[in-house]
Amino acid sequence: MTESRRALDAEAIAALLADTDPYLSCDDCFARIDQYVEARAADPAYEDPAMAAHLRGCGACADEAESLLDLLAQHPD
Amino acid sequence: MTTVNPTTPPVAPAATDQAWLSDLAGDGPAAQAALTRLHELLLRASRHQVRRLSGLLPGAGATELEDLAQQAADDALVAVLRQLGTFEGRSRFTTWAYKFGVLQAGVAVRRQAWRHREVPLPDTLQLVDAAPSPAALTEAAQLARAVEDAIATQLTPHQRRVVLALLVECVPIDVLADRLGSNRNALYKTLHDARRRLRSALAELGHLDDPDRSTP
Repeated sequence: MTESRRALDAEAIAALLADTDPYLSCDDCFARIDQYVEARAADPAYEDPAMAAHLRGCGACADEAESLLDLLAQHPD
Repeated sequence: MTTVNPTTPPVAPAATDQAWLSDLAGDGPAAQAALTRLHELLLRASRHQVRRLSGLLPGAGATELEDLAQQAADDALVAVLRQLGTFEGRSRFTTWAYKFGVLQAGVAVRRQAWRHREVPLPDTLQLVDAAPSPAALTEAAQLARAVEDAIATQLTPHQRRVVLALLVECVPIDVLADRLGSNRNALYKTLHDARRRLRSALAELGHLDDPDRSTP
């Protein structure tokens, strides 16, 4: 048995207790992420509750959404 | 606030998107030119993502980073061509294609960053001192203690390993998936279910205002 030696800091606790409902899989997130970032780029107030919940809970998908938004901002055409 | 129904039916692709599709589906010079343009597009996306994440590879030089971006663009090109039939025109074709480049580059950088690192897979969390100090009586410390207890008692062994690796040891989800012979989708589902159990346990103890939840 292996024991984690890391402290359970506030950031880890927030990540552990994140409310990620409604559930959306990473595959579903990937399927929708292009539409989502275009909508966010056009209207920063745009919301998609399932995408927002997933991006709160999945760092890799959240990073990809941020990267795509940056890319669209740099290359709007 | 604007909310767009994510299940809206497909729209007809814009003219330029239609040109992408018809050119890529054909053969001859037009198809070759479209493939070249598509690779350039994907390389733009992969370079962008490699540059953003280059801090994860402090020892990497420009050549190594460019190699990663090129390989990611090549992999993304294969993925885009394989998935071409699923493009429904819900976004511009270029945005749709970009996401493949960003995905491949992100996965490549994180894998490279962890290539020579041991992936920690703890089964348990080191518990705080059983005799609480004055500081441990604070609300934050009590919450931490309750979370530690919930991790130990409410999660399955698999959920515990995944949760500790991803959220305490900060192992990237793709790296952990490789290590466990799993995939991002399955690990995220495990994480989601574990979080529901933890939230439910913490709500029962009065640490969270939370509606009734099932425990998958």
